[in-house]
Amino acid sequence: MLHVENLTAAIGDKQILKGLDLDVGAGEVHAIMGPNGSGKSTFAHALAGRDGYEIGGTVTLDGADLLEMTPEARAAAGVFLGFQYPVEIPGVNNMYFLRTALNSVRRARGETEIGARDFLAVAKDAMALVEMKQDFLDRAVNAGFSGGEKKRNEILQMAVMQPRLAILDETDSGLDIDALRIIAGGVNALRSPERSMIVITHYQRLLDYIKPDFVHVLVDGRIVQSGDYTLALHLEDHGYADFVNTDLNDAPERPLAGAPSSR
Amino acid sequence: MSPTAPPVSRSAIDRLGSIGVPTKRDEAWRYAPHRKLAELVFGPSQGSIDELGFDLDERLPSLDGPRIVIVNGVVDQERSSFITGAVAGAGVSLTPLAGASSDLVATQFERAGDDVTDAYLALNLAYSTDGVVIEIADGVRPEVPIHVVTVVVPGSTAAATNMWCSAVSIHVGTGSSATVVETRLGDGDDVGGSSALTSVHLGDDATFEHVVVQDLRATQVHLGRVEVTLGERSTLRTRSFNLGASYGRLEYHIELAGEGAVADMSGLFSGVGEQTLDQQITVVHLAKNGTSRQSFRGVLDDASVGVFNGGIDVCPGADGTDAEQSNDNLLLSNRAEVNTQPRLEILADEVACKHGATVGQLDDTALYYLRSRGIAADDARRLLIRGFADQVVDDVGIDAVRSWISHRLGHDDD
Repeated sequence: MLHVENLTAAIGDKQILKGLDLDVGAGEVHAIMGPNGSGKSTFAHALAGRDGYEIGGTVTLDGADLLEMTPEARAAAGVFLGFQYPVEIPGVNNMYFLRTALNSVRRARGETEIGARDFLAVAKDAMALVEMKQDFLDRAVNAGFSGGEKKRNEILQMAVMQPRLAILDETDSGLDIDALRIIAGGVNALRSPERSMIVITHYQRLLDYIKPDFVHVLVDGRIVQSGDYTLALHLEDHGYADFVNTDLNDAPERPLAGAPSSR
Repeated sequence: MSPTAPPVSRSAIDRLGSIGVPTKRDEAWRYAPHRKLAELVFGPSQGSIDELGFDLDERLPSLDGPRIVIVNGVVDQERSSFITGAVAGAGVSLTPLAGASSDLVATQFERAGDDVTDAYLALNLAYSTDGVVIEIADGVRPEVPIHVVTVVVPGSTAAATNMWCSAVSIHVGTGSSATVVETRLGDGDDVGGSSALTSVHLGDDATFEHVVVQDLRATQVHLGRVEVTLGERSTLRTRSFNLGASYGRLEYHIELAGEGAVADMSGLFSGVGEQTLDQQITVVHLAKNGTSRQSFRGVLDDASVGVFNGGIDVCPGADGTDAEQSNDNLLLSNRAEVNTQPRLEILADEVACKHGATVGQLDDTALYYLRSRGIAADDARRLLIRGFADQVVDDVGIDAVRSWISHRLGHDDD
């Protein structure tokens, strides 16, 4: 379904993704793990279409070339990115935003727009999934939301948009255990044979709640190891040190002065 | 029409010579188009015109309650509804200024020489021979807003560069509550405009909401000034929408004269083309434990210029004052400009005084966030601009005014 081949991304002279390959089949959940600065978030934004990167390589979703599309066209094609740092948009009502988003995508797909009343039913189902109250919809998008509320709002949006491909970027960061449980519950409820997911995380903890079919280790802009869920458990015990030390072609031969020798 | 100028007008004319016309060196007039202002002709009001180039009702928020229409400086009886009684409630009195007693006019518009700060105010005092006097008796709380509409058509009955002057005097009695909406429009292609003075007195424990919508033609000039004196524990809410005119100026001079008074001011200026939209705000805390809030937002596109010059004066003895001011601006074009300046003078004790200003562009991250949800780039832009402006629009208590402004700004729902 999603095919990523030799994906590169750079900002100016700084090469961040250095030839990333990944195939995600329909209904599969893939976890991408890696140390800070390895390119995880860049990969997420490269898929969603953020400006500012020089992109190379190939990315197709159901055969369609994603890299040629604007962010809004990618959304219409079924891509959804759950942001690590959801953006506060003061003055824009959450309900209005959600309906505008859904109807924009429906318009782009040539589907009929959904009216306010029908939308309320859609929103209510989505809210139940992430245990949100009605007043969430009456507030401005993410404005003044707690960290946990923002992440729940991301999953709420995902539930409304019903994407083909959901990319969840560090959805677990900054969450307490209760919020993590709620969010994972929402994500699991949205798993389906037609929907693929890429779950990006630094820690294995999230994967206790969202069991991936595959785990990939991203280091220095490339996937250096792939495996099943047990790879995540290995990382939990050993950290990324093995991969960082053995797989960095341009790693210094000696540790830099002052650098910690191991985790 | 030969207006009988009240005595104050004569003294105002007499003062003109000594005051002089403001220049770029006057901070409050720094961004005014002085060459253009010098070409304007201030003169006596000349009454009604038969045909407006537009349907007045279509250009106005549709409000319940009495409506007073002032055309080219003179109350237009036919277009006005001076209904009081059943609609506005007993104890609400609306009188054309031209017919008002000179005592009453003198009370509202007479002032010491020092208080006439510039020639344009003096010109208004001299030539605003008509307008409306609104009196709300003690303890009266009309539920419907009173709508004052000022329409000018320069060139129709006088010089193309004519400035029409009018004045509104509002007295809100002790414990009373009222809302006045002033909509100011222009028509025609000529370059004149309007000068409007509003003078308000709030009695003790009174509550008053005052909305100004300035939407003259893009060739015209508007000079608006609102003066308010607040009694003890009275509450003032001002909402201003500075949208039209080539030079649209809204001045506020607010005096918290009674203890515990509250002034809550917000405003939006939204410019396109080569408009200059100028807000000149001065809040004077004269008594103890007053609270004031100034929250103004600018949205400036093309080569438009926004000005926010906001003053807080805390006078000796106004201890316990709590004053805040903010001015946030959104520049939509790299040719747009905003000039924001706080002026704080604090001469009392135990004063909390905060001010802040921001100037920014549309947030790229927010645009990307919206687009990642499928919202097209243009729609995402509009949504963000609307969200920014709505934080002022939503402060207006009257639905019809809110939706009128949203429509005017092109923020309607599809």
